[in-house]
Amino acid sequence: MSVAEAVGRLGAWTGLPLDQLDPERERPYWIATSQLPGIGPVAIARMLARAGSLRAAWQGGLVEQAAAELPADVRDLAAQHVRFLRQRGVPRAAAELVARGRPHGIRPLTALDEDYPPSLRHLDPRPAVLWAAGDPTAWQTTTVAVVGTRRPSGYGRAAAEEIGDELARAGVTVISGLAVGVDAVAHTAAVAAGGRSVAVLPSPIDRIYPPANRDLAHRLRDAGALLTEVPPGRRIGRPDFARRNRIIAGMAEAVVVVEAPDRSGALLTAAAAIELGRELFAVPGPMDAVTSRGTNRLIADHAATLVTSPAALLHLIGLRRSGFTVSVRTLSEAEGLVLGRLLQRSGSIEELADRTALPTSMLAAALTMLEARGLVAAYAGATFHPTLAARRSGWPKGSARTASALAGSA
Amino acid sequence: MLAETMSASIRGVEAVPVRVEVDVAFGLPGLTIVGLAGSAIQEARERVRSAVRNSGFEVPARRITVNLAPADLPKEGTAYDLAIGVAMLAASGQLEADLAHTALLGELALDGSLRPVAGTLALVAAARDAGHRAAVVAQGDVVEAAAVPGIAVHGARSLGDAVAHLAGVRPLAAATRTPLPPWSLPEATVDLRDVIGQGVGRRALEIALAGGHNLALVGPPGVGKTLLLSSVPGLLPPLDDDEAIEVSRIYSIAGLVDRQVPLTRVRPVRAPHHTTSTQALVGGGERIRPGEASLAHRGALVLDELLQFRTDSLDALRQPLESGQVTIARVEGALRLPARFMLLAAFNPCPCGWLNARSRACACDPASVQRYDRRLSGPLRDRIDLWVMMEEPRRVVTDAEAEDSAVVASRIGVAWDRQHDRQGAPNGTLGPDALGAERGFGPDAIRSLTRLGRVLRLSPRRAHRAAWVARTIADLQGSPGVSPVHVEEALHYRPPVPA
Repeated sequence: MSVAEAVGRLGAWTGLPLDQLDPERERPYWIATSQLPGIGPVAIARMLARAGSLRAAWQGGLVEQAAAELPADVRDLAAQHVRFLRQRGVPRAAAELVARGRPHGIRPLTALDEDYPPSLRHLDPRPAVLWAAGDPTAWQTTTVAVVGTRRPSGYGRAAAEEIGDELARAGVTVISGLAVGVDAVAHTAAVAAGGRSVAVLPSPIDRIYPPANRDLAHRLRDAGALLTEVPPGRRIGRPDFARRNRIIAGMAEAVVVVEAPDRSGALLTAAAAIELGRELFAVPGPMDAVTSRGTNRLIADHAATLVTSPAALLHLIGLRRSGFTVSVRTLSEAEGLVLGRLLQRSGSIEELADRTALPTSMLAAALTMLEARGLVAAYAGATFHPTLAARRSGWPKGSARTASALAGSA
Repeated sequence: MLAETMSASIRGVEAVPVRVEVDVAFGLPGLTIVGLAGSAIQEARERVRSAVRNSGFEVPARRITVNLAPADLPKEGTAYDLAIGVAMLAASGQLEADLAHTALLGELALDGSLRPVAGTLALVAAARDAGHRAAVVAQGDVVEAAAVPGIAVHGARSLGDAVAHLAGVRPLAAATRTPLPPWSLPEATVDLRDVIGQGVGRRALEIALAGGHNLALVGPPGVGKTLLLSSVPGLLPPLDDDEAIEVSRIYSIAGLVDRQVPLTRVRPVRAPHHTTSTQALVGGGERIRPGEASLAHRGALVLDELLQFRTDSLDALRQPLESGQVTIARVEGALRLPARFMLLAAFNPCPCGWLNARSRACACDPASVQRYDRRLSGPLRDRIDLWVMMEEPRRVVTDAEAEDSAVVASRIGVAWDRQHDRQGAPNGTLGPDALGAERGFGPDAIRSLTRLGRVLRLSPRRAHRAAWVARTIADLQGSPGVSPVHVEEALHYRPPVPA
């Protein structure tokens, strides 16, 4: 028994001689095996180690044996599935499943396929079969995952948007989970910047979860890809977020947690990133912001590197920002003052009143104009944030105007 | 023998004159009341019979028929007791008097004494409008009845008093006209001085009150939304003479008026709790009563926790917000209740209240936030002119420089006068057709509104509401024309676009 075989018996993928297998001949058997309840990547690795290929595992009766070794609660179900597949014929059953996904542009990707994400090839265990729609080259480049809470603050939205945009402009493929909140903002920003983005779903691609982001998913199929472990047509009970999060972390070379309160699902992705040895970054928040408590803790525990700015993030992962600025049309004095203050630090109109000494009425008018110009956004909250366009504008260009002079001219 | 007396009946918040005809004829002794009389009137038989007997008169042992005309108008209440009693006496020859010009309004007690009724103010006004020269009311109703000019009001303590007066035996003196009381600041209201921070909230409230605009304060619990709204009674200008009578009439019908001080100059502020039924909110019921919306007529309807109100209640508010009145459709025809109020609402941004807050995490899942958001229908959302996203104040003590209510109230009062002089109505009640140069909307303001409306993707309705808010901002500043900066500030208070 070789070392690889011995390791393989334990269920490890590393060292398995996968490159000797024929992807085309193996594919139906991989698809069929990955459908079996209770048979996960570890059990598949064991079969590969013993039989050399899954086709051989089916021909040699190893699959029945693997099913019989399962815990009592899934043993019968798995055995029933194996019997069913045998009756129907494995190649035919697999072809039917593939045909089911075809109208939706869904293709299977086995761990033997060339299009299988390269960063997942080093994962152990790794998903035996993935289902993909869209551009299979989307992950053949630098990939960074951007994740965070489903309920971001305005600050979190602004940060996710900036980071998604900055990464996409630098040619990075932005990976995320298509959840509402930070995920959706990051995907959207990357696509809007003309970049590529990949969503790893907890659901089949023909049953997008969450349904609210169905439109976004369609856009991602055209400007990136959708990826999932769940075969087409499967009715899902509880979406399997933990496995999905592990794939997100595995797909990416670096993971950025934008905003996460305590016990956020994004922290599970962060934990997976640490386990898989991916670089982990976190966007800091104010110490009194509950929505940033999880990210702040990652930084405090030295688990994640603090992101000081989107440009700094690019620098840390070895990329440079692309040159890009927008010109600011002529701003009034009050607008310029308010924008300058917001670029220093986001704030509500109450805070701006303290920081600029301008009357509320004048601030309200100035903020309307800045919002209309796309330089400031409030994201339905009380706090106003400078937008990407504002950060790229190069404002204030040294034009220091004093608040008192303005207040006097009012 | 036949006799006829005059009375009046409440219908919605109006009163209509009613003739009471009594016929005493041979037949089996009995008393029948016809003319769509409700149950309280059917019981009048017993009250009138006892009262007549106990006042020393005789109930004729004949067949007595009472008809309330117009016979097709449903009638309710106890105000006809006196008219029925007197007509019965006249029909049976126990009283000889001219009864054609005096309205008789009052409920009879079994001992013959006269009791006050709800809606006296409206009833007496209807009698005057029907051409009656005098009215006899219960002594307890005299002050309220005498608030109506142009009709002599006589207060009677009992049926006996009323009969003696009508027969000319013991005439009752006409009551002196009840004066409009001077305006005084309503008691127990919060002064703006005691509100911590919330500069935007204060500003938006001032604009809303100054122009009669609808306002929504959105923010987490405890930031001062309720406190801010509690300051409203101390900020509103007094009612003028016509408004005072109009408002008092509604309160009289609702039975909410102080019979000794029937008129008030204090602009109504109604703040019903969110468990209030739809009927109580907009009016209705088998016997139609004005709801909170009508009680807030010419004033403010404060709805704290707006989204906790029943959704059908919120829908029912659309009509008064749009047309200034509530229409209640009945088999006998539609009834209109006046309900021109400004809506001042406050609510949390999500079910738990902490969405987008700094100090606490929101515990709602996104779907439930969406569901919560949808409770406020588009049309209702569209009718709220000013939106303020409030946040937790940074300070815990009040600002020594904070303006007090008196200062703000005087600015609001001046702005009201300007609007009244210019167009005779608050800005918030005017439609898009009134946006013209004569109201101060120059080409600059219109251009600014059009351009910003396009960029910020405002609906045409939203844009024209914002125009009137801008007009109010200019009025507060004392500016005859609306300038772009007024438009820009007005647009700051547009509704948030859900993220």
